Amino acid sequence: MTEVPSPSVAQRLPDPGSPASAAHIADLLHKVAEKDRAAFAELYKSTAPKLFGTVLRILNQKSWAEDVVQDAYVKIWQKAVQFDAAKASPITWMVTIARNSAIDALRKQPTGQKASQEELDQVAAVEPNAIFQLENEQSLRQLHHCLDELDEARREMVQLAYLKGWSRANLSTYFDQPVNTIKTGLHRALKQLKRCLAP
Amino acid sequence: MTDRDDLDMLAAEFVLGTLDADERASVTRRLVAEPELNALVEEWEVRLAPLADSIQPVTPDPELFARIERQIDAEQHTPTEQPSPANSTVIALRTRLRRWQWSTGVASAAALLLIAVLVLQPRPESAPQSFVAVFQQNDQQPAFMLSVDLNTRQLSIRPVTAEPLQEKSYQLWIKADPLGPDPRSLGVLNDNFELDRAAALQNFDPELLKQATFGISIEPAGGSPTGLPTSPAIHGFLYPVSGTSGQ
Repeated sequence: MTEVPSPSVAQRLPDPGSPASAAHIADLLHKVAEKDRAAFAELYKSTAPKLFGTVLRILNQKSWAEDVVQDAYVKIWQKAVQFDAAKASPITWMVTIARNSAIDALRKQPTGQKASQEELDQVAAVEPNAIFQLENEQSLRQLHHCLDELDEARREMVQLAYLKGWSRANLSTYFDQPVNTIKTGLHRALKQLKRCLAP
Repeated sequence: MTDRDDLDMLAAEFVLGTLDADERASVTRRLVAEPELNALVEEWEVRLAPLADSIQPVTPDPELFARIERQIDAEQHTPTEQPSPANSTVIALRTRLRRWQWSTGVASAAALLLIAVLVLQPRPESAPQSFVAVFQQNDQQPAFMLSVDLNTRQLSIRPVTAEPLQEKSYQLWIKADPLGPDPRSLGVLNDNFELDRAAALQNFDPELLKQATFGISIEPAGGSPTGLPTSPAIHGFLYPVSGTSGQ
């Protein structure tokens, strides 16, 4: 058995300033697929703030978000063999696992959530962060260009759904529109985005 | 609006996150059986991924990684203190599983095994020749459990979340190095999840069965017309259910 003894996390993690390029993370994921614990620790160190930020944004509660991130990393450990660099960047793949876990957790919670103006401002004010930006600067610019072409309410819908995990019902309450109108609006927005992003 | 458009919008809303719990669970189940839907979901994941770029990283509690490692340890090992030969076999088989691809869709659609289910369940006191494989179709629940008695070479399949299919069949496959590169059919499951061939394993050596991986694919009613899986399969490998099996 190749168990790594468990010294404190800090001791065996690399310098936090080390670069987290997509290629490096993909390499770590391949090692994790071979059940390399040291690579897993490094992968965690490089990506946990991103995943935790993503999940925290959706769940708005620290301990709940930590439980979900824990769950997500266990899945990443188990499913690393399935990562296919030809289909998605490693960060996209990992964020997808974390987002899906977070949204599933949120949907199982009976209490709906209310939007505050503060949260909306947060959505509006977000700045791209530099950590993983290099890997997809082009696609980032393109998506923002396409988002800008949507009318404002639809752009907000897309952002609130993706970033906050809002359901059609949440959006319906917030925008004070019937769920079906929200659904139609979402579909129009998504199709417009798809057309705009098409190569 | 065409069916294809509907499917694309379902995929888009799944990725965007606007579906309710039931719809999400339904899509998650369908992803395994529907490569087209799976491909659309993957396209939307990539398309919308830049939205996540705006999310500010937040460093989690320093304790979290230790918790993750403890959970992985708990799921990876049987509760015994010493690593047993049986455990080593499991690790070897897990590695072997990586090399095995039924078809091109498998890497994304099929999921890995859920060892945890076995570990966390009370184990029978004495069943030295009993082996179980778990077929997991998504991250949450195993879809099937396959148990094999190596003495009698009898196998039984129990659905956990899997349900009978309309006009399609589940087909069970075995793959092992001595059998060559292609999976070999063990038979088609009927609506009671019984194999149409009761003696499917009789001609296999028990040692080969221990090393083999198993797969379940969704096929046209009555089984694959080509003799090979035509859809992504979900996989399982045999795992000893007794603590004494590795002796």
